Amino acid sequence: MASEKYEVHKRMYEVLKGRDTPGAKMLAEWLEGVFHAVDEGRPVVYHSFALFSEVIIALDLQPLCCEAWDMLASRVDPQHPLKSIDAAHEAGIPSEMCSFDKAILGSVMRETMPPPSMIALSATPCQNAYITYQAVAHITGAPMWVSDIPYNMDEQGARDYWVEQYQGLIAFLEEQSGRKMDYDRLREVVEESNRCVEYWLELMELQKMKPAPRTGPLWSGTYAGMTSFGLPSSTAAVKATLDRAKEDVAQGKAAVPDEKARAVWFHFPVGWDTGLMKWMADMGVSVPFVEFDGYRAEPVDTSTPESMIRGMAGRALEVPMVKIAQGATDRYIEDLLYVIREWKADCAIIAGHPGCKWITGAHGLIRDACREEGIPILLYDLDLVDDRVTPEEESRAKIEQFLNMVLDRED
Amino acid sequence: MTALEELRRPAASLSNPHMERWKENGGRVIGYYCTYVPVEIIHAAGVLPFRMRATGSTSTELGDVYAAYNTCTFCRHSLDQAMRGAYGFLDGLVALFSCDHVRRMYDVWKLGKVELPCAPFYLRFLSVPVKADAAAVAWLAEEFERFKTSLEEHFGVTISDEALRRSIKTYNEQRSLLRRLYEMRKQDSPPVTGAEALEILIAATSMPVEEFNDLLRELLEELKGREGCSDYRARLLLGGVDLEEPAYVRLIEDLGGLVVTDFLCFGIRDFWDPVEENEEPMTALARRYIQNVSCPRMIDHEGRQEFMQQLVKDFRVDGVIIQRMKYCDLWGGEGAMIQWDMRKNGTPCMVLEREYLMSSVGQMRTRVQAFLETIGSY
Repeated sequence: MASEKYEVHKRMYEVLKGRDTPGAKMLAEWLEGVFHAVDEGRPVVYHSFALFSEVIIALDLQPLCCEAWDMLASRVDPQHPLKSIDAAHEAGIPSEMCSFDKAILGSVMRETMPPPSMIALSATPCQNAYITYQAVAHITGAPMWVSDIPYNMDEQGARDYWVEQYQGLIAFLEEQSGRKMDYDRLREVVEESNRCVEYWLELMELQKMKPAPRTGPLWSGTYAGMTSFGLPSSTAAVKATLDRAKEDVAQGKAAVPDEKARAVWFHFPVGWDTGLMKWMADMGVSVPFVEFDGYRAEPVDTSTPESMIRGMAGRALEVPMVKIAQGATDRYIEDLLYVIREWKADCAIIAGHPGCKWITGAHGLIRDACREEGIPILLYDLDLVDDRVTPEEESRAKIEQFLNMVLDRED
Repeated sequence: MTALEELRRPAASLSNPHMERWKENGGRVIGYYCTYVPVEIIHAAGVLPFRMRATGSTSTELGDVYAAYNTCTFCRHSLDQAMRGAYGFLDGLVALFSCDHVRRMYDVWKLGKVELPCAPFYLRFLSVPVKADAAAVAWLAEEFERFKTSLEEHFGVTISDEALRRSIKTYNEQRSLLRRLYEMRKQDSPPVTGAEALEILIAATSMPVEEFNDLLRELLEELKGREGCSDYRARLLLGGVDLEEPAYVRLIEDLGGLVVTDFLCFGIRDFWDPVEENEEPMTALARRYIQNVSCPRMIDHEGRQEFMQQLVKDFRVDGVIIQRMKYCDLWGGEGAMIQWDMRKNGTPCMVLEREYLMSSVGQMRTRVQAFLETIGSY
């Protein structure tokens, strides 16, 4: 079978199938969907995490979020993304580009990711992403749609233009697949994603409690948004996380019972340092908010096709990272300070992922803003995918030094 | 002084006698960071558009307070210049999402970390699409209209359609003259070197366009009698990121590679396509600026590739050098893709990484020499 070549993902699939949790089930179903699509010759649609998969699912096409594909593989083979990154380097892609994107490109080159039938991209959150997806289209020859996005969404007409881009995405998928959107089916999918969002928002709300019921990334939400948004499996995965958190709250349990300080992790979680949050918890520090879980949009109005498209387009602006990357630094700072306030954090940690020039280029401004508010902030070099850039020991040493300072201050 | 000598001067410093005269006469100047800024609208407001450079900068000490180490050195130097007050001649600044580096540099200006050269200072960030279909053209036409209105309000002027059409015509004339210059570079013995061409293109963005056009017309006459360059080993296309250092091109040319054409911001990407004069001005400008030969900020790699292949053919190019500033993401990806494509088509191609200030000259010389030898063996 054609899908047999994706050996690492097959292994991951077997691991997930053996686990009886809604989160594992969601991911297993997604991988199974990709494998079946490959074996049956059904269209596989690449999309970046910045575009949710509802319209792809409603057209009965197989979504493949490239960032999620590589992240998952690292769970069974930590070397997998590194091999792909190296392949991209060998092909002339510079080392300082985003390692998420280099891994995607390398995986396409190594053929460890199924080839796309078409590509759906949003021109956000950064240029690393869209230059990479252009290269993927160039290599594979797959047609690509790009949803263009106005820089300043408050500008007159910006929302309408963005909604038109979303309509264009649907038209592109219809044209390439030869299928017609069934808006009743889309309504079912969006109602499902609405339920998922409600649980997600409730979970995020719960995280505001002191002490917080959970610390660190809430992976079910992260993967739900990237792989299966609009499918019952994603709703079940998020609901299960919420239910467990509620139970813990009811029983007076917290992720870090003796919570001495709370930190906001304002970026994507570190993929390779899986013990980081536990290690921070041992210091008495909880992380009630990780930016990549920080989805804060309202449910979509499903009364008409137009209201659904407008709602989905609006919701796509609230995707983690997109929310803070799109537009000027003021938006980023405003959101960071809001999150610190609302989730009652004592400090913030921002990993200087080398690909994210849109954050590192604003480090000075972010630092000034936090200083003015009296909020300790750690801005440091850390590649979120590639541990060869800043090894674990070095990374933790920086965090430890910073947290000790925060804890002293709290005392 | 010959026209060529006069046109080569502005590249050597931020200011130049033409701009100084303009300022002395009460003229105002707006700096802009990208070829996607419609200079015609600024010109129609009676303001001199000045393409931002960091010429003369020697350090990034102050710029580094706000820009991280992995911000490209052009932005770090330019920010440093701004913080040292080197852009004192500016009355305003316009930028857009050229890249993640430039947009953050603009934010440093906007959030008050740069002492503004005057008050009130005009600051504007344009929202320019990354694709070029009909919807994008319509959006950009509206954005240009808003830009026009903000200029009118800030500078207390009225930009009439007639003034805009006149500006379009004047800049089209500049483009047409520059294309005549580039036509001459197709000759076996081009009358200007690549370094001189770059200096001329920098002048085009640093002085009143009318004065530039007069000088360029003179130059084109002068060049008819000038002995061309024939002592070269290979005809090169130089592409890549924003390059404002003629010495960089000179180094390549000293080794025997003559740059006969380019794919640069201070080059073809700035002037190649004219604005349609018989169309409603804002739509015509919008169309021209995003349907023009594109830079990698636009999602149009295939279009760029086709255009460059045509340049290779038309200018009888033997080899392509893409210079890329370290940490530039757009040219990081685009440079690699160009290299894949050029090699597939049998055109030798090399990507050279550089910093804003020329450094590692020995290493660069070795790589260029080796490349020129490779061309010989193709």
